[in-house]
Amino acid sequence: MEQQPYAIEMRGITKTFGSVVANRDVSLTLRRGEILALLGENGSGKTTLMNMLSGIYAPDRGEILVDGQPAAIHSPEDAKRLGIGMVHQHFKLVDVFSAADNIWMGKEKAGFVLGKNRYEEIAQTARRFGFELDPKKRVRNMAVSEKQTLEIVKVLYYGAKVIVLDEPTAVLTVQEIQKLFGVLRRMKEEGHSIIIITHKLNEVLEISDRVAILRKGEYITTVDTASTNEQQLTEYMVGRKVDLNIDRPVVEKTKPLLEIRDLTIRSDEGAVAIDHVNFYIRGGEMLGVAGIAGCGQKELCEAIAGLRPIQSGQMIHKGENIVGLSPKAILDKGISMSFIPEDRLGMGLAPSLSITDNMILKSYQDTKGPMVNRKKGKIRAEWVIEELGVVTPSADTPVRRLSGGNVQKVLLGREILAAPNVLITAYPVRGLDINSSYAIYNILNLQKEKGVGILFVGEDLDVMMALCDKIMVLCHGKVMGVVHAHKTTKEELGLMMTGALDLTNRYEDKPAGFARDTNIPPQQTPEKEEE
Amino acid sequence: MRFHVVKRDSCPLWKRLALYVGAVAAALVLGGLLLLALGVNPVAYYSRMFTMGMVGNKIAYKSFENYLKVFVPLVLTAVALSLAFKMRFWNIGGEGQFILGAVAASAVAFQAGPVLPGAVTLLLMCLCAMLAAGLYGTLAAALKVKFGTNETLMTLMLNYIALYFLTFLGETKATWNFFLDPTSARPIFVSFAKTVSFPRIPMGKFGLNVCVLFTFAVGALVFVYLRSTKQGYEIAVVGDSAGTARYAGMKVNTIVLRTVFLSACLIGLAAAFKVGTAGILSTNITDDVGWTGIIVAWLAQMNTAVIFLVSALIAMLQYGSDVAAATVSQVDSSFANMLQGAILFLVLAADFSTRFRVVLEGKGGRKHGA
Amino acid sequence: MKKILAMALALAMTVSMAACGSSGSNSSAGSAGSAGSAGSAGDVSSEGNADFKVGAIYINSKSDTAGYTYAHNHGITTAMEELGLDTATQLVIRDEVLEDYDAVATAVDTLVGEGCNIIFGISFGYMQAMNDKAAEYPDVMFSHATGYMSNDTNFNNYFGRAYQARYLAGIAAGLKSLEMGNNNVGYVAAYGRQYAETASGINGFALGVQAVNPDAVVYVKELGNWADEVNESAFAKELIESYNCGVISQHCDSAQPQIAAQDAGVFGCGYNSDMTADAPNAHLTAAIWNWDVYYKTAIEAAMTCGGAENFVTAMGGPAYYGGLKENFVDVSPLNEATVAQGTQAAIDAVRELIVSGAWDVFSGVKLHVTVNEDGTATVEQEEAPLLCDGQELVDGALVERDAQVVEAGGPSVEDGVITGTMNYFVEGVEDA
Repeated sequence: MEQQPYAIEMRGITKTFGSVVANRDVSLTLRRGEILALLGENGSGKTTLMNMLSGIYAPDRGEILVDGQPAAIHSPEDAKRLGIGMVHQHFKLVDVFSAADNIWMGKEKAGFVLGKNRYEEIAQTARRFGFELDPKKRVRNMAVSEKQTLEIVKVLYYGAKVIVLDEPTAVLTVQEIQKLFGVLRRMKEEGHSIIIITHKLNEVLEISDRVAILRKGEYITTVDTASTNEQQLTEYMVGRKVDLNIDRPVVEKTKPLLEIRDLTIRSDEGAVAIDHVNFYIRGGEMLGVAGIAGCGQKELCEAIAGLRPIQSGQMIHKGENIVGLSPKAILDKGISMSFIPEDRLGMGLAPSLSITDNMILKSYQDTKGPMVNRKKGKIRAEWVIEELGVVTPSADTPVRRLSGGNVQKVLLGREILAAPNVLITAYPVRGLDINSSYAIYNILNLQKEKGVGILFVGEDLDVMMALCDKIMVLCHGKVMGVVHAHKTTKEELGLMMTGALDLTNRYEDKPAGFARDTNIPPQQTPEKEEE
Repeated sequence: MRFHVVKRDSCPLWKRLALYVGAVAAALVLGGLLLLALGVNPVAYYSRMFTMGMVGNKIAYKSFENYLKVFVPLVLTAVALSLAFKMRFWNIGGEGQFILGAVAASAVAFQAGPVLPGAVTLLLMCLCAMLAAGLYGTLAAALKVKFGTNETLMTLMLNYIALYFLTFLGETKATWNFFLDPTSARPIFVSFAKTVSFPRIPMGKFGLNVCVLFTFAVGALVFVYLRSTKQGYEIAVVGDSAGTARYAGMKVNTIVLRTVFLSACLIGLAAAFKVGTAGILSTNITDDVGWTGIIVAWLAQMNTAVIFLVSALIAMLQYGSDVAAATVSQVDSSFANMLQGAILFLVLAADFSTRFRVVLEGKGGRKHGA
Repeated sequence: MKKILAMALALAMTVSMAACGSSGSNSSAGSAGSAGSAGSAGDVSSEGNADFKVGAIYINSKSDTAGYTYAHNHGITTAMEELGLDTATQLVIRDEVLEDYDAVATAVDTLVGEGCNIIFGISFGYMQAMNDKAAEYPDVMFSHATGYMSNDTNFNNYFGRAYQARYLAGIAAGLKSLEMGNNNVGYVAAYGRQYAETASGINGFALGVQAVNPDAVVYVKELGNWADEVNESAFAKELIESYNCGVISQHCDSAQPQIAAQDAGVFGCGYNSDMTADAPNAHLTAAIWNWDVYYKTAIEAAMTCGGAENFVTAMGGPAYYGGLKENFVDVSPLNEATVAQGTQAAIDAVRELIVSGAWDVFSGVKLHVTVNEDGTATVEQEEAPLLCDGQELVDGALVERDAQVVEAGGPSVEDGVITGTMNYFVEGVEDA
């Protein structure tokens, strides 16, 4: 093994974007037939490094050796020729094409005519590696895991010996992750070399042979997986000791603050996004919402905040109906919502405006007269900067100049300052590093201790199991059950997320999602409001 | 060699100014070389251009009055456009809205002019021009709000509808067409009654058109509106992120309609000032302010105060180059227009380089946006 | 707010400076004016007129090399050179001035500010602004082409009897049609009955054609635009292909109709300038303008009339309407390679009748022109009514009218009709 050249060797790679150094003098080796985990926090330069390997970027300095030979990779075509294939986090597929055609169109000598045999050829490739793939299925009809399978088959079909997977598990359920890992192991046995980018430690420990760690664009070290543990990896990643325990303070719970009965909501496309959902939140309680992406989380948050009309059902806040109220009226009742979308800035903040101006976003109408009162905004901005430790030159700095963690602190800070009694927060730590994430958890816990009821829509099951009191699992807009966070397991949650396990009827003495001490009078039956 | 464009975080003011001045200088040097090739003394030419031919002119006060006639519609239109642009509503329908405003103002002038006192007629002209232009602009906004149409295309096409409507009015002799001179066999627009003209405040020989004062007043109001009012704040938020505005409980559609209406209204006011000063309609009434205004608003980065400065400079450039070309037989208006274009182009290029940076890469390079 | 105040102050400063500047230079305005009139009261020699300045307002670029603006610019510079004036220093031109009141008024102010003594405006849409400015600046002379406004002192208008030249071109076209044995003649026109200028041109040409070929029909296709090169060519092609026209005449700027005729192997009559060079195998002759004739007359009058208030009187009236007699309009030299035999003789004979004042086109006397075997031409006069097709254009709609325009033997149609209200086609003209 030692005599063999490395499958890939990257030496002294440096890449800058403007004044930002994405990679500084990074070296990396990949042996043949191993799975290497590339570990690092968001923004540590993992994806940039791999993009240089796959020819999307060219390094400013440094060289890449493939099988011991210096290689010039100027384009994805070069990488393909050298047997390097990358599966990107955001799939690069044509929605209206079939699986086979998506693979076919990238072929170097595809010819003019689409051959009938292409389906068979591609099905064979899939079977060889143990994939289930219907070559004739169109991409737009595929589930996320199927699309990922297609991307991997595509790379294998082109004869890749080195396969890079960028955050492949982010979109998968626990069961799908196990399946993927099975495939990766089989590929490894066939002699493929695999680099898997991730920031989830348990997965790293489970699948990889070695772990290479990047921090802030710099290469830290490579360790054998067998001789390391979560704590050590975290320290490499963050640069110092970190307490990985998330607190879950126990708080006296109040009567239900927000009760949702039989709620049905349609998505923008008109499909049913939330399907006859029941749940409730008490003060001093944090209810997690789990589910694979696009299961109605966004629609649910928007409906509660009054931003989306509902199809039918009831939303009761402290015994009062909030269906049909304006977003402003709902806000005035103390229901505050913050949603961090994938681009982080699209909702909740105006990126070009200052922190001060963003502070008054929801309250600028409260003062009399036609003029805006920015004094209050200034005071609030300074409080948020002070109390939540926002790093910024001043309160007048546009929000887009702030780093992700600070942006999210500003957003949460504003919501907290509105002194809500119900706080709905979706993906509050999306894209944040470990330190910022923990700061956000602390902010939420403090609110919970003040008696605020929190709906926490999250992605990371480990975090939700540690932070939330209860977890509600959604699958295609339906509730699969509400479980106690400290009693459940990831496997159970995973099964519920895929719809394989339905725990809605676990307690037979009361329907799931109905509080015993409800504010809704029992004689009042849920009435349908047809639009 | 490959290159790509990177957005700059910020650019210090002195550097920006230096770049702008450099751009103008570069354009002047370029133009100077061409002038030399034509056998014209560039220094003499430029000094005429930048003094707008007022030095040694028998009627320099007239030159300044005429300069203000170029300045007023331009600055008002640019201010109006900046309202919509601030909201990232790309209203390039300034031309069309200006025309509708001018037609409405003229209609009032013909119908009310002979009956009502001059001041009342002028006030009515302004109001009707604002309403007509405002509604015309709102049409594009309503289509965007209701059906999600692209406002850039929509306002652009509405320009041509308005332009051909005006041409139709100007070329169609008929008994109903009170815009035309009934005594002329060939269709020509008829002048308004003598009373229908914005008064001028005499200052020696020079007469300061009251429209200039109104324009500065409107500019001050818009400045305060954008900076300190709730509606101005809403415009900023909607422009920055419509999703955020909706999320904050703002009625985004209402804000879009209201702002575009206001923007087009002010363009209508500019048109009323223009016809109320000229005392007659024409098919070339806009003088391209709908287009030039876009450049002005952009260069001024929608800052109302800067718009006044930029408009003053561009109006000077426009007026000065026409005057300078008149006295030099080798130089025609095309050359003057080309020089103007070169200056604006290089200033915009300088402007671009204050906002973005071009980065050269060695071999290889970025292939796809990842 | 500070910025606005600062700018308002800056502007106020500029305004006060401008006001001071104007009052300061006001006295010089008076002196310059008196110096000018003193000079113009003297002789016409170039030395005495070194201060005399000509101003011109053009619709297109002054560096054009063809077309309407070129024709006028060429006329003005030719006239000035003949009068010994320096076009580099004594001619001030504002070109590409739109037909917009303010734009024209501003251009006039600029020219007056430059010290121009006489200002020519060449486009119809300049009329109202020039009329008003003539009243505002009584010391400056104004002269406007193609319009009808004027005053008794310093503002006249000028235009030419292009219909006379077109009648001569019509003779060339008619003879060609006889030679070809094809009675269909085409005419690509900017406009038709809407404008007296175009209608009189079409009618003059048609009467010329009929003088040699009474069976000929002139098919008119209107562009709806004064300049539209693409359609000028396309319409000519359509007249040739769909109406089987053998000769194509035109009232538009470019030589496209002539080129189209040459491409189709037929013939044509141009306009404005000699288009033989553009279509050597098709072009017969063109109705042309000698603008320098007018400009020389006007500038000479302006220099010698002894003050702007005498200008109109010196020009012999508020409307100058020159024709073949003054050599203001003419036909270009015949293209010997294309014209029918005897064309020159026929044209010369008719020209003599018109120049002598014995006959004019729109009168109750019809000419019958025949070319004899020996190449000479015979012109017979017949008293016959001038008939139109019984329709006229009123407010955009065709309405019935009396077909008889002039009774047999009657006098010519008045100039005011020819320049202003002719809104019908004569017999033998068809809309295509």
